[in-house]
Amino acid sequence: MRPLTLRRLLWICGTLSLVLLAVVVAALKLGAVPISVSDLVLSLGRVAIGRSDQLPSEYRLIVFELRLPRILLGILVGAALSVSGAGFQALLRNPLADPYVLGVSSGAALGAILSLIASPHLPLLTPVAAFAGAALTIAAVYFLGRRKGQLDGGTLLLAGIITASFLSAVIMFLMTTLSSRDYRGMAFWQMGDLSTPLAEGLRWVFVLVLIVAGGAIYTTAADLNLLLTGEREAMHLGVHVTRVKLVVYLAASILTGMAVSVSGAIGYVGLLAPHLMRMLFGSDYRLLIPTSALGGAIIVVLADTLARTIVAPTELPVGAMTAMVGAPVFIYLLRRGLQ
Amino acid sequence: MTLLAAGQARAQGAASRRDPGTDLPATPKLEVTDEAGRRVNVPQPVRRIVSLAPSLTETVYALGAQERLVGVTDYCDYPPEAQMKPKVGGTINPNLEQVVALRPDLVLATRALNRRETVEALEHLGIAAYATDPRSVEGVLVSTARLAEVIGAGERGEALAANLRARLAELKRLLSGRPARRVLFVVWSDPLVSIGRGTFLADALRWAGAESVVDSSQDWPRLALEEVVHLQPEYLVFASSHSEEVERDFEALRERPGWRSLEAVRQRRMAVISDAVNRPSPRLVDAIEQLARQLHPDAFETKPENRSPGVGTRGGTGPDEEFESDEREEACACAR
Repeated sequence: MRPLTLRRLLWICGTLSLVLLAVVVAALKLGAVPISVSDLVLSLGRVAIGRSDQLPSEYRLIVFELRLPRILLGILVGAALSVSGAGFQALLRNPLADPYVLGVSSGAALGAILSLIASPHLPLLTPVAAFAGAALTIAAVYFLGRRKGQLDGGTLLLAGIITASFLSAVIMFLMTTLSSRDYRGMAFWQMGDLSTPLAEGLRWVFVLVLIVAGGAIYTTAADLNLLLTGEREAMHLGVHVTRVKLVVYLAASILTGMAVSVSGAIGYVGLLAPHLMRMLFGSDYRLLIPTSALGGAIIVVLADTLARTIVAPTELPVGAMTAMVGAPVFIYLLRRGLQ
Repeated sequence: MTLLAAGQARAQGAASRRDPGTDLPATPKLEVTDEAGRRVNVPQPVRRIVSLAPSLTETVYALGAQERLVGVTDYCDYPPEAQMKPKVGGTINPNLEQVVALRPDLVLATRALNRRETVEALEHLGIAAYATDPRSVEGVLVSTARLAEVIGAGERGEALAANLRARLAELKRLLSGRPARRVLFVVWSDPLVSIGRGTFLADALRWAGAESVVDSSQDWPRLALEEVVHLQPEYLVFASSHSEEVERDFEALRERPGWRSLEAVRQRRMAVISDAVNRPSPRLVDAIEQLARQLHPDAFETKPENRSPGVGTRGGTGPDEEFESDEREEACACAR
């Protein structure tokens, strides 16, 4: 492992931020309604000098009221899912852990749906219930995935996949039996979708939670590095294993719950981003967590831009895009792990 | 109820309706409450309309306002020329960018097909979105008249509703005293999906002198075949624009276990009606008449002199053509 200096951390994160910015600009340009580069630059310029009122109202609405909030939502969701994915991978010492594969996203979705059924008019209850669903699911998967007191990689994944399928069946049951007129459709909860903008009031709550929960995981980054070598070894090196695991467990569940409550179950992002970043920059968690956040944001914004444009004006769910890339990668990693 | 809503709307609109030529921020607004209970400020006059459901597209055409219809969904296929209008994607996930780019004064949505989130997002963007929610045949009439008022085609809407109401009254007269046929409305045959009691389709069956053998609180219940065998409906009713296809499917069903135990299948007692019955639009009445003729042919064959002119001739041969011939010509004349 190459030694991590602050300089290297800033360089890498700075470069990734520039990539993200480029992706965001491309995503602002592309969409069902064609907008030329010059028009986009012009309108961005006008906004930059505080003259957004001079824009033609369609451009203002399409670029700044529709595309931009959706892109920002994609960034938040991508970062949250990737950091929680990286967290689960360390917590379970399994590189294939992903909130979607482990059923955590389905648990969060079920929590969110139950809260919508119980009281549809409390907007803050949905993310909280989604968090509870995520936390309960990962706890269940954790205990189901143990054999003879030891966490077993294959059993864990099986437990996760079966839990996901069970929870999906419950969601299907609820959506079929209850009059589903006013709820978001099945596709939203099972495939993920960014077309619904975040409620104004929730925007800052979400940003704050992302920073706090992501930061909480980041404080454990050095310990997570040691934990990778084994729990007992880490304990001998002075790591407070139970505390670290509890922090990561809660924070990663919060992040998943938050993401699922606003965008449904977008799969494989929590697997793709950390793996890509590991391949590029190594597995030091102090670097992996911020790079995963940025990488996840890039992946989701890219995937959503594709979902918006390839069959425009019809939109695909973003989860279909991430799964088309993520599932083969998952299989590849699984087979490589078996050898 | 219609008159009340219409009257209210007119009272509120009268004060603010003036100078249709300007597009300044001070555009006069008509405040209405839509069928989802939301307050909507509709700019007046409504010059650009986007429809987010096939039934709404049909309704706009029936009201003669098609010139003002600037966007429709991928599924809006009736009347055929509606397919030439700019598309905004599907009903569940319409492309909001495309909607915005069409600069609509008003977007029409329906609770059965569109999502609340879509309507809320449009509202957030400052675009008036009016949602309908008809749940019965009468509801379709009321809803149509109200919608007509909102888009400034009130007289046309009242005339249309009155015409439809007269046709329904005539139908009721013809069918009075006849026992309702017990039917199974087949929404989908594999897996078998029928209709619940709360749908406007169940109500449409009642108007056509039929009753659904299925009594479910769900709108689109999935049924076990054994339950249908137990219920033994007198007729199977299919809705499709391709009746040959249905007949082919029906022949296939005759071979299949379960289905072949149905008396209605063995005796080929089936009715195929226009798929207009699936859409809460004015054409629903055509489909109801069509079904009534197939289920109660004797009510229509005898005493032709009793039929009032212009009413009895509808619905028998093909509702599509009729819509073409009289309704729409009127509509075009009106718009010009």
